[in-house]
Amino acid sequence: MKTVYLLPFFAFFAFSSNAQDSLFEKGLRPLLEKNCIECHNTNNVKGGVNLDNYKEEGRVIKRGRLWLKVLDQIKTRSMPPDTKPRLTDQEYDSLTNGLTHILQKALENQNPGLITIRRLSHWEYHYAVLDLFGVDFDAKGYFPGDGSGGGGFDNQGKALFFTPLKFERYYDAANLIVEDLSKNPDLWEKAVPFEYKITWWQQVSDWFKSIFTKDFQPSNPPELAAESVILPMAAKTYRRYLAKEEKAKLMDFFGKVYYSLDSIPNPTRFNKSMAEVFKLMLISPNFLYRQEEEPLVEQPIPLNGFELASRLSFFLWSSVPDEELYQLARTEQLSDTLVLEKQVKRMLADPKAKRFAEIFSSQWLGIDKLTDKGPVVDPEKYPEFTTSLRHNMYQETVEYFYYVLSKSKNLLDLINSDYTFLNQELAEFYNIDGIKGNNFQKVGLIDKSRGGILGMGSVLTVTSLPLRTSPVLRGKWVLEEILGTSPPPPPPDAGELPEDEALHEDLGLRGLLEMHRSKPGCLSCHEKMDPLGLGLENFDLIGRWRESYGKVDIDASGVLASGEAFNGPAELKELLLLEKEKFARNISSRLLSYAIGRSILFTDEPLLRKMETSLLENNFNPDNVIMELVKGYAFQLKIKDFQKKLNEI
Amino acid sequence: MKKRWQISRRRMLKGLGAAISLPMLEGMQFPSAISSVANSQKSPVRSAFFFMPNGIHPNYWTPEKQGRDFELTRLLEPLNGVKDDLLVLSDLMNQNSNFEGGDGHYARTANILTCMQIKKTTGDNISSGGISLDQLIAQKVGQETLFPSLEYGLDKITTGVDINVGFTRLYGSNISWKSPTQPVSKEIDPRMAFDRLFRNYIPGKKQEEDPFKKSVLDMVMADARALKKDLGRSDQDKVEEYLESIRSVEKRIVNEGKRKDFEMNITPDLKKDLIRVDQNIDEYVEMYAGVDVTEKTRLMMDIIALAFWSDATRVNTFMFGNSVSNRNFSFLEGVNGNHHSISHHMNNQDKMEQYAKINLWHMEQYAYFLNKLKSIKEGDKTLLDNSMVFLTSSLRDGNRHSPIDIPVVLAGKGGGKLKTGQFLKYEERTPLANLYLTMLNCLDIDRDNFGDSTGILDGILA
Repeated sequence: MKTVYLLPFFAFFAFSSNAQDSLFEKGLRPLLEKNCIECHNTNNVKGGVNLDNYKEEGRVIKRGRLWLKVLDQIKTRSMPPDTKPRLTDQEYDSLTNGLTHILQKALENQNPGLITIRRLSHWEYHYAVLDLFGVDFDAKGYFPGDGSGGGGFDNQGKALFFTPLKFERYYDAANLIVEDLSKNPDLWEKAVPFEYKITWWQQVSDWFKSIFTKDFQPSNPPELAAESVILPMAAKTYRRYLAKEEKAKLMDFFGKVYYSLDSIPNPTRFNKSMAEVFKLMLISPNFLYRQEEEPLVEQPIPLNGFELASRLSFFLWSSVPDEELYQLARTEQLSDTLVLEKQVKRMLADPKAKRFAEIFSSQWLGIDKLTDKGPVVDPEKYPEFTTSLRHNMYQETVEYFYYVLSKSKNLLDLINSDYTFLNQELAEFYNIDGIKGNNFQKVGLIDKSRGGILGMGSVLTVTSLPLRTSPVLRGKWVLEEILGTSPPPPPPDAGELPEDEALHEDLGLRGLLEMHRSKPGCLSCHEKMDPLGLGLENFDLIGRWRESYGKVDIDASGVLASGEAFNGPAELKELLLLEKEKFARNISSRLLSYAIGRSILFTDEPLLRKMETSLLENNFNPDNVIMELVKGYAFQLKIKDFQKKLNEI
Repeated sequence: MKKRWQISRRRMLKGLGAAISLPMLEGMQFPSAISSVANSQKSPVRSAFFFMPNGIHPNYWTPEKQGRDFELTRLLEPLNGVKDDLLVLSDLMNQNSNFEGGDGHYARTANILTCMQIKKTTGDNISSGGISLDQLIAQKVGQETLFPSLEYGLDKITTGVDINVGFTRLYGSNISWKSPTQPVSKEIDPRMAFDRLFRNYIPGKKQEEDPFKKSVLDMVMADARALKKDLGRSDQDKVEEYLESIRSVEKRIVNEGKRKDFEMNITPDLKKDLIRVDQNIDEYVEMYAGVDVTEKTRLMMDIIALAFWSDATRVNTFMFGNSVSNRNFSFLEGVNGNHHSISHHMNNQDKMEQYAKINLWHMEQYAYFLNKLKSIKEGDKTLLDNSMVFLTSSLRDGNRHSPIDIPVVLAGKGGGKLKTGQFLKYEERTPLANLYLTMLNCLDIDRDNFGDSTGILDGILA
């Protein structure tokens, strides 16, 4: 009688305890070790599955998708295999119930997932320096490049590294920035809004006082003046309150410099000392890293006001918060949903939101390489592809994305629309008359083929090879970047088509592709990719309209894997517009990954669903989905790192 | 004949060497009879690691005859001036570049110098499996020089993630790993690379060191320590990277003795060449940046040679391109297309011929560097005698992404410890790591193993 009574109690106890070592470590890990890890460990990775690394529950949750599969294998008794001892009923129940519980709980608990501390990306560094000091520093050109991680962006903490070379460049950059600042009186005045002088009278009276008083105070000490600049600037640069010791250290450093420069007259002496302090701030980890205090408790907790302000401003402005955000952070009002909504609206309406439009869209669509110096198309065969043209192509997409974000408010415009943004050079390139000047302007399109990013020179060029178009690459691009799905990689000896445009004048690309596809191993994927790319064949490798390859007319008709037929880009885009769910899913994951700087995790699923729904129900309005994102638990909360700290090991 | 690479246009303008077809042998050679550091003590051994992306033409690489009489095949032909300084090694394989879930490029590039498996990830748990050979050497010999190691390349990190195969492209852009989880950034700009090492020795370009630099570094170091204390583990690891970076910079500032030594090494001969290379870089920046890749490659190699010569460093890596590089090689006579695309030649004769020409270009640049080292005297030896210059591609035939029998050349006598001038064929699939272990042995770095090594290679050590 008693036992029956106690069992549920024990079960409850075991499951509800939040100490990591209870359920998984004590209850499940030994069972896994006994039955699974023998064949799935680091030295013996059967089926590519290694379960040995999962020593904490946090790790299991992090790779929840994998563990769902593990659970499924155990549940269906596919694992352990017949050749190994069968799980006892008790083991079976413990494992399946325990894993189900852990995974379910992870979704219910709104686990925000761990975000690794992020060094400022080069874009963020650039804009932070611009907003703090007014200096326009080319960070991307100056620092050794960063790779991308997670969702494909350059702001993903785990893929951002620090190296000695980088550090040297940060130091030199700080020098250059401060030098620029000192040379520009207007900027300097904004940073240091007074000229420090000790008057003749102050000098005399200080000298006089110093003779008669032991602990005299100078009437205008440089420290006091410096403090009024340094402390507020440091708080803005570090994006938080300064600790008392931090303030003292900054002022000590100022003093140290100031008193060692006693041969230089003021205000130069004062200003030079200030410049040293600015330099210090610019290479401090407090500036270069976006820190969030580590929670002390196991459960996820909300970000503090400053942390939330920073997440918002780096997300939408790629820079430090402005005074209004700081004010709300200080008064702890950002946790109020109404205040938050109002701020997001304000931030999106601010011209600084264009930074988000540029960085997000250029990295998502992969067109950022147009701004590098590296060659894209063959310069000898295509001399018309000039530096200014490729820059304009990039700019078209940026302007367009910004318009969609700020004015049209319908992200489906990315797939198709009846307008774009052009300046004279690009309009002439597209054969559109009547656009004058260098500035980009909104232009209505009569031709239904052009509207949307699939008709843009930028996208069409980066999805081509240097000497010809590639329907396969374009098709793959549409699948991956628009629909968020990906075919498996090609077999190693799949081969590629000939390079030269001239070679397929006789057969046409379609013919070549069909030949290539005749291998059964290739067909299943190419069936999905090729029609999408062939539908865009009327655009040449730099996005000009064409009707033939020379001798062979272009046939831009096709049938999608789903069975729908189309002819040409305009009809293809209509069909893509039917894939709303996939598009919504893709935008949601990209936005979330960009906003929080990590890969999408199993635990993000509930938030992603919300974002998707928001898109589908609100006509793909970017405001709504962004609002949903910033109100979501993955953006609002933080969680303790489940690994032991270095100082605890 | 108007192909750009054969003679840089700048030199054509200057009217020098207009009829040179093998530029690295004549017109572009170092001023002759230069003598190097020439200190009485034993010259240090330098190590360089060159990486070519996208494999090689499989039929034109391997010599027929083994041993000292080996013939220079078509792809090895550019090395004829240094044949006696070469070890051409066949049938080596980076075993760990082949694993389930791996792919044709990334899984074979990031670990070319670690010989361990990389972690499959789009960026959340990047790992090369181990420290790379160059960094291990730098750990051991790097304290002796101003720069423990230098990492160079021609291209920026390739951005984005390849969701097709599930890897971040960062893997294809890094061969140097300070630890499994820390790639070392590479320098791709000749101007910046040169200035970092030599700027202060060019008349009129000397930069005054900021007198407060040391205090600034101390301050931010303290900031980082304070910050690190309270963070979670993965954040701590990141901040530790920052701390390590400062330490290495600080070491250089503090160590006046080492800087003096370095200064002593800048002999008048060396200085003359510094000034020459500095001017070449200026001209390059003015006219050829982004246009002439041959010129850029040679400038980077000039800088590596100068760095070895002046003993600024003893360890270097150089990436001709990132993995999957689609550099347009149409500037070569008879080539019409890009590297990666052409490497998937599908056994088409014409494409394979273009592929061979691209390979040849790489070998010519490698030869340029070797000849340069050979032209610099160090005591009664040459700088090449005191070096080990390793060249590989992580693939054999790029068409098949084949990791078996990858192309490997080790040039230079390693301070007299290597029996060069041979072609050696090993047992099939001999671990590449065995060569690395042999190189460590040659450097007197005491290790029982490296990566997945099973022993040292026979027939190499003198």
